[in-house]
Amino acid sequence: MNISKALLILAALSFTFSCDTNNTDSEITTPESYEFTRDGESTVSFTGQTTRIKMATELSLAMTDFDNSTEQLLLEMYRNQTSNGGDANPFSDSELNTADKSIKSKVAASTDFYSSNTATSVEIKNQFESWISAQVNEVYPNENVQAQPGVAGQIADGSSTRYVSAKGFEYNQMLAKGLIGALMTDQILNNYVSTSVLDAGNNAEENNAKVTLDGESYTNMEHKWDEAYGYLFGVSPNKAKPLATIGEDDDFLNEYVGKVNNDPDFEGIAQEIFDAYALGREAIVQNDYELRDQQSTILRNRISKVLAVRAVYYLQSGIAALQETPINYGSAFHDLSEAYGFIFSLQFSRVPNTTDPYFSNAEINGFLNSLEQGNGLWDVQTQTLLNISTSVASKFNFTIEEALN
Amino acid sequence: MKRYLLLFLSVSFIISSCTETNLSGPDPDDFDRKAVLENWADNIIIPALTKFSSNTESLKTAGNQFAETPTQQTLESLRDEWKAGYLAFQHVSMFETPKTMEIRYRNNLNIYPADTAEVTENINQGNYNLNLPSEIDQQGFPTLDYLLYGLADSDTGILSFYNSGDNASAYRDYVVDLVTRIDSLTDLVLGDWNSGYRNEFVNNSGNGANSSIDMMVNDYIFYYEKNLRAGKIGIPAGVFSGTPLPQNVEGFYSKEFSKELFLESLTATQNFFNGKYFDSETTGISLSDYLNFLNTIKSGTDLTQLINQQFEASHSRAQNLNSSLFEQIETDNSIMLKTYDELQKNVILLKVDMLQALNINVDFVDADGD
Repeated sequence: MNISKALLILAALSFTFSCDTNNTDSEITTPESYEFTRDGESTVSFTGQTTRIKMATELSLAMTDFDNSTEQLLLEMYRNQTSNGGDANPFSDSELNTADKSIKSKVAASTDFYSSNTATSVEIKNQFESWISAQVNEVYPNENVQAQPGVAGQIADGSSTRYVSAKGFEYNQMLAKGLIGALMTDQILNNYVSTSVLDAGNNAEENNAKVTLDGESYTNMEHKWDEAYGYLFGVSPNKAKPLATIGEDDDFLNEYVGKVNNDPDFEGIAQEIFDAYALGREAIVQNDYELRDQQSTILRNRISKVLAVRAVYYLQSGIAALQETPINYGSAFHDLSEAYGFIFSLQFSRVPNTTDPYFSNAEINGFLNSLEQGNGLWDVQTQTLLNISTSVASKFNFTIEEALN
Repeated sequence: MKRYLLLFLSVSFIISSCTETNLSGPDPDDFDRKAVLENWADNIIIPALTKFSSNTESLKTAGNQFAETPTQQTLESLRDEWKAGYLAFQHVSMFETPKTMEIRYRNNLNIYPADTAEVTENINQGNYNLNLPSEIDQQGFPTLDYLLYGLADSDTGILSFYNSGDNASAYRDYVVDLVTRIDSLTDLVLGDWNSGYRNEFVNNSGNGANSSIDMMVNDYIFYYEKNLRAGKIGIPAGVFSGTPLPQNVEGFYSKEFSKELFLESLTATQNFFNGKYFDSETTGISLSDYLNFLNTIKSGTDLTQLINQQFEASHSRAQNLNSSLFEQIETDNSIMLKTYDELQKNVILLKVDMLQALNINVDFVDADGD
């Protein structure tokens, strides 16, 4: 912990020395607060991200609202459009209905990964629609049926009731945890902190000259970086100093950065992420793009690691439940459905200084197929779960034990 | 966060014990764990279940009599059996077996508050299935509490639901279904103990994670922490929600029994710790003796004594509670909170100090709530 932090500081320091040519006079320090102004006006803006987190929250909750949800309503929440492209009003929050944004348009939609891979992008976008449709067509009719191998229905998890597919999966969990990767992580790591987006067009020249966007207080590059920030902190009550409530602000990336940060083995990761955002933004203000990109590498590693730690955590929780006497299927299915979503999300991770995720789409599909084959979670072998845990943990250089808290 | 604190505490205790433990000290393997298991099974668990089973039989009879002729008299005798059964249940609720886990025994008998809207829908539409996990809050003692005390303000009003109401016969049938289910689930649990599980339990006398002692002690502490401390006191007092939830007390509709139910449960957990025979003054071998054997000392006092003192402190703090915990929360919640604080102190002594002394690992964690 301390060693890695020290290394980080060293790395940052050595970096500032090495880029002396760009930055001769002042050493850029990490702001304690994500507040940036120009002529007394804030230059920080990420309302679109706040909107999408709220949309995802409503959709995720609506998945298990058996009495009020329909396939059409859920799909409209995902698309914020009717099935023939018309204006839809599926949300209870009217601001979301009037927004011209949608979840779907930003799913698997990063510049780096999908601008020339639309086939996979469409496949992933449609995957979410399949989960939505299956929830309504497969699980809803069996709301009051006891789940069994091959039969969707309800199953007890302690005093909670879980609603699972014929293979034991909770589609609502797959969707929610899948969005953490396909929406939040992909947009942050493979889009908004990428040079391809930050430096697109005349962004660098305009930022050097502090040419702001029409009618706005910020440069385009500043705004892109803020949008990356918004997918993690977009609904935090104190958006400038959001760490006090990390983990409590949404059910998506914010929640799980908080959870991983609460594991003593990864304590401090939330601060590292925040600092990288804040220093990267300050570097943009000061036109230091190498320092900015250094922060992108930190974000790529840390946010990817959050997904990996939670994937392993839920796989191991699932193993523990499957080893209880009698077998605690309900608890195992809940944990493994979350694990499924986090594993799915790892295809949107990003190895720093490369163009690749930590696991490719094909590798991820291999993992997921091994969970789904046969009767799915009803007969999944603990060895299968252990193998995936080992693959993920070793790729990120942490141990399975470290992920357990 | 609490979990990490406990973890941290237990780690630091392990570290400190490493430096202090005399290598020639008592070896846990020299203790007769099988004798503890025999005492638990033969003098506590099976007698308590046998007694409870006779209660549920009487409850079933009274429920059927009430359904045949719903009068003030049959209502009152059904209420008496309900109360006697609910109190007796406090002596068996903590004991888990593979069978109780399989049939989700405690959840089917005592999840509160009851979901009265769903109960009403079940009665009016008739399409319920009490085996479903989603219907645990529509049955058991809490739903009977509602049906026998909560349907109307007066007994006349309550009786009219069973005599002249639109769905009077459906109301009567539902009561019969509930008392029948409580009785048949209890028969399953007692029958399992009497047909082989007792020997399996007693003979599994090792000290690994799957041994009877490790599992029973974990279930016991889970019960103490979640069902007794949190369920009966902490949750209604608002410890976890910030604002009190008085409608979440046990026995909410009958009002005046909630304290009695809590005290009965507290007594049962203390009796188990000391190995006190069910419904008797005789004491057998139990956790207290195991700790004494290991000579566990904390802050200069032996742990058995500390735990018993803490049980007594909880009891005496609870003496000041109104017999209706609902009333207590409404008038002066601070006494509830002080009772909770006393109960919480024994969570530390049982879950951290005792488990460390007995070399038992906690096998449950707080669900992460998502």
